[in-house]
Amino acid sequence: MPIEYGDLTVGQKISDRTHLLDAEVVSQYVDAVEDRATLHSSVDGRPLVPPMAVAALSLRGVVQDLEIPGGTLHAGQELQFRGAVEVGAALDCSATLAQNSVRGEWRFLVVELEAVDSAGLVVMTGKSTIIVPAS
Amino acid sequence: MMAETKFDEGDGLPAVEKLITQEQIERYAVASGDFNPIHVDHEFAASSQFGRTIAHGMLVTASISEMMTLAFGETWPQSGRLKIRFKAPVYPGDKISTFGEVKSVRDRDGARTVACSIGVRTDKGEVAIAGDASVVVPLSNDTAGR
Repeated sequence: MPIEYGDLTVGQKISDRTHLLDAEVVSQYVDAVEDRATLHSSVDGRPLVPPMAVAALSLRGVVQDLEIPGGTLHAGQELQFRGAVEVGAALDCSATLAQNSVRGEWRFLVVELEAVDSAGLVVMTGKSTIIVPAS
Repeated sequence: MMAETKFDEGDGLPAVEKLITQEQIERYAVASGDFNPIHVDHEFAASSQFGRTIAHGMLVTASISEMMTLAFGETWPQSGRLKIRFKAPVYPGDKISTFGEVKSVRDRDGARTVACSIGVRTDKGEVAIAGDASVVVPLSNDTAGR
């Protein structure tokens, strides 16, 4: 049964997933975006996850759990990175609806993102503005 | 990787240039799990307001993050902030270039905040993404010293 976006309420958790950022997942991401700015921890030299990979995985939950329809547009993005993530880390990524409004033929959904590592530290927060056809 | 260590207002950030291809968009769809047909279905995209497939906004944004990593190293994932608007689509075949400039360097409460205006421009001259980014470095850390 398709999601009725008008029924979604502000404060509603719309996605809550755990993602393992192992070497294969990170490599797939790096290959896709062709990121050449590889990072290693200054503490122990371990490879770090590109921060946008964390954002991309957080948005995966939004896209898939909200069953975003074709033609949906990504209008804006805010991100705050709060800690480097080592390759191999598991992150709990959640998304909560912060705004749900209609303007003309479009529904504007603002979704707050949060990614937390296995130690309970918030490593990323963010806010995505996505525009879904209202009809 | 070693990042540039000193920034002043008006300094430019290292530009990142890429050619966006449909094959890359499809790889990003797999990596991100975002198979919105506007990106990967030519027939669907042809009937959209864009007339053909477009790149994921977050795929294009990755170039900004790459620029910030080149400029600020590990400080970026530790303290980076990004606020952007997607202003125009990027199509397969477009060459994109990031741009960035240090707008302010402020010391406060034992930390240095380097704020930048950033964005992505296509080879057609269109600004695809525009916004702001910043990093915060403890003043005891030399990595953002002036």
